[in-house]
Amino acid sequence: MADTTTAIEPAAALAPVAGRSLWQDAWRRLRRNRAAIASAVVLLLMAFAGIAGPWFTPHPYDRIYPQYVRAPASLDAYPQEDTIIPQFVSALERARITIGEVEVDSSTVRAPVSDDKPLDPRIVRYVDRSDLFNNARLEDADGNPLAEGATSGVMVADVQRVRFYFGTDANGRDLLARILIGIRISLAIGVLASVMALVVGVAYGSIAGYVGGRLDNVMMRVVDILYSLPFIFFVILLVVFFGRNFVLIFIAIGCTEWLDMARIVRGQTLSLRRQEFVQAAEALGVGNRGILTRHIIPNTLGPVVVFVTLLVPKAILLESLLSFLGLGVQEPLTSLGLLISEGSDNMRSAPWLLIYPAVTLTAILFALNFLGDGLRDALDPKDR
Amino acid sequence: MDAPRNPILRVRNLEVNFETNDGTVRAVKGIDLDVFPGETVAIVGESGSGKSQATMGIMGLLAANGRATGSALYRDQELVGLSERKLNKVRGEKITMIFQEPMTSLDPLYRIGRQIAEPLVHHRGMSARAARARVIELLQLVGIPNPKKRIDSYPHEMSGGQRQRVMIAMALANDPDILIADEPTTALDVTIQAQILELLADLQKRLGMAIVFITHDLGIVRRIADRVYVMRLGKVVESGKTSEIFAQPNDPYTRMLLAAEPTGTKAPPPETAPALIEGRDICVVFRVGGGWLGGDPTEIRAVDGISVSLRQGQTIGIVGESGSGKSTLGRALLRLLPSEGEVRFEGRDISRLDRGELRPLRKRLQLVFQDPFGSLSPRMTVGQIVTEGLLVHEPELSGKDRDRRAVAALEEVGLDPAMRNRYPHEFSGGQRQRIAIARAIILKPKVLVLDEPTSALDRSVQKQIVDLLRDLQRQHGLSYFFISHDLAVVRAMSDYIIVMKDGKIVEEGPTETIFDRPEQPYTKTLMAAALEGTALHIG
Repeated sequence: MADTTTAIEPAAALAPVAGRSLWQDAWRRLRRNRAAIASAVVLLLMAFAGIAGPWFTPHPYDRIYPQYVRAPASLDAYPQEDTIIPQFVSALERARITIGEVEVDSSTVRAPVSDDKPLDPRIVRYVDRSDLFNNARLEDADGNPLAEGATSGVMVADVQRVRFYFGTDANGRDLLARILIGIRISLAIGVLASVMALVVGVAYGSIAGYVGGRLDNVMMRVVDILYSLPFIFFVILLVVFFGRNFVLIFIAIGCTEWLDMARIVRGQTLSLRRQEFVQAAEALGVGNRGILTRHIIPNTLGPVVVFVTLLVPKAILLESLLSFLGLGVQEPLTSLGLLISEGSDNMRSAPWLLIYPAVTLTAILFALNFLGDGLRDALDPKDR
Repeated sequence: MDAPRNPILRVRNLEVNFETNDGTVRAVKGIDLDVFPGETVAIVGESGSGKSQATMGIMGLLAANGRATGSALYRDQELVGLSERKLNKVRGEKITMIFQEPMTSLDPLYRIGRQIAEPLVHHRGMSARAARARVIELLQLVGIPNPKKRIDSYPHEMSGGQRQRVMIAMALANDPDILIADEPTTALDVTIQAQILELLADLQKRLGMAIVFITHDLGIVRRIADRVYVMRLGKVVESGKTSEIFAQPNDPYTRMLLAAEPTGTKAPPPETAPALIEGRDICVVFRVGGGWLGGDPTEIRAVDGISVSLRQGQTIGIVGESGSGKSTLGRALLRLLPSEGEVRFEGRDISRLDRGELRPLRKRLQLVFQDPFGSLSPRMTVGQIVTEGLLVHEPELSGKDRDRRAVAALEEVGLDPAMRNRYPHEFSGGQRQRIAIARAIILKPKVLVLDEPTSALDRSVQKQIVDLLRDLQRQHGLSYFFISHDLAVVRAMSDYIIVMKDGKIVEEGPTETIFDRPEQPYTKTLMAAALEGTALHIG
């Protein structure tokens, strides 16, 4: 910029002019990156689905439907028409009564039944016990409740229509509900572990880098030692001491991932410490705390934000690994990693068990990585 | 100059535009330029005038969002819009460039011989052996001593001046017709700068290429250029023979540039003025290497037993080339670096105080840095930056009071206080330096160490900052340590001068004595190198 305009005429109005911070600049650049914005939208939708979705699905994630084990994904409602009659008959057969011809209309199934003895009204339980039917009742020919002591009547039951858009798993649980809860758990672990890594890593790295000298040496050697601990070994140790626990997983992941963060922040801090604005603050007599919080940390946040967006998928993958090994989330709670692991066991017979969770996880990871890339481009000062 | 022949490079209506977030930025707005064989043309202008972007546009080296339009004919070949492949045949062989920063334009991973040989092998298909012989010849040409040995050096093993010579050797490798030199001496010390200019002039005489010299320094232009183009805001405001332009500038901007040399002198303070800061036998020793497994550290004595005394209202100019320890001395006097020796402030020994005990004194001992881009935290608003010192030293102030003080300080340094919610990157270099000064004076200090406060600024802005600093000194009775390698500015600012070399004082005395009757040979060389160019236009 030509500098002949620096001699500014005395300010008439003292009303401050709003500035444009680097963050606003970065946001403007990010907004123009369509892939990153689309990824952010996908992530928001996923997060919303994970948080609110399980409340809206018709099936709880841990409800078992013994009749619908490994039901394939379908947009049509279960039970399928050709299975209604055999299922109804097999349920009634347990009552050891004579069964006439079974009729099915849109929502009810009815069959004349008779026996030598008076019909016991409790036989409706045989029908109700099935996942397919509910509200089973004995009626007479006119549709009134069967009088006590009658030996013949009509067994009527409502067909319970249920939908499994993503099918059911090997235990007969709705896969959609389980994927939604899996998204919730996976994202929660990813975000919580990353936040933990962020807080610990930024604090540790900036202190080590800023104070420097012997303290830096000791602190970074501690990091080196922690680095050399094998991750799985560390997790097993934690599990042995504290038992299996949801909180433990993100603590374990956070405890290992903050090391990278600490190194990144320390490196940033070392170069920032030589910058003149830090020296200027020292010359003003600003204390260590003020320099760290006002000058060092805000200026490290650019690379840190990028690293965090790449850390979240890493944490999700680590959680998947732990769950795959049986050290992570416990049944009936689930996570995407666990679902994929189950899916891979049933790949031949029930491919949908693998496909849907895998697609979901991939979409999340893709979105996070695209967003991370977009943030890196947006925050890169060289682009200015 | 010879009688006009056909220009070897003929630029017509060249425009360079950059697409940015804030719309199109027109860096070069249609310039005409001719370069004749064997002459030296200078393009002169302040930062942002588009002088570099114009040549980058001709050479097809613009950043990805830049676009050049118009025409640039090199021997009847159109360069603007030429494909990368064809352009490569011209640039690097027929038209070559050297840049400002010799530290970063050489690849630190390769020996210099290999870097110079690269265009030879690439453009001419020379064998490795022939290329090596040519490289040694070139190194000899640019005056590198012992070229047979130096050919296998890495860039970090050479000094800044030598690296710039290597860059020149690289540019000369293919006998170019035109050498474009983009501020090739700006990053160098004055004595080295003089040597490089001499070398360029000598090479031109021997090899007969044309030189396009881009610079902001009128002294250099005067010294080496046959013709000059003065650029401002993307346009050529004036062009012609150097001697004519310097004698009779027509454009007001050119006149302003020529008059931009800081002028005036400073009278010394009265004899009775009390001493504010006294340093005795100050030594600063840096230990490099060593540590756990590192063996013995090497000691570098950056400041070696210097005594200095600054009186109320005095300005001491500390002069020296890079590495002379002048900045280190300034920081040691403010106790920002651990040092040996004694520092007294207002009669009190402050050399043994720790950081907490020094804090109350910081209010009165302030520092302004060279780099107006690096010394302001990019994530804070100007208001926050200026008032940060108040948070430490006057914590009882309310937010409103701090804001009032910020407004007052910004007005005092000539900035519009309405800008205080903006961020530093929205300001120009001169404005940033004003912000840095406002940050220091808001605390009402007594002593200011000014560490090259004008070096990163354009001449015309330098003059404004020098005037501002002198005004502030008069109004508040400030005392300055003025650290600079720029003798013209030092002369205008200070009443006492210390010349430093390798951490020691070479010579010291009142300003006129040092400038008019230097005694030490080193001081004489320094004066000659610095003033040969800059003092010219006074006539």
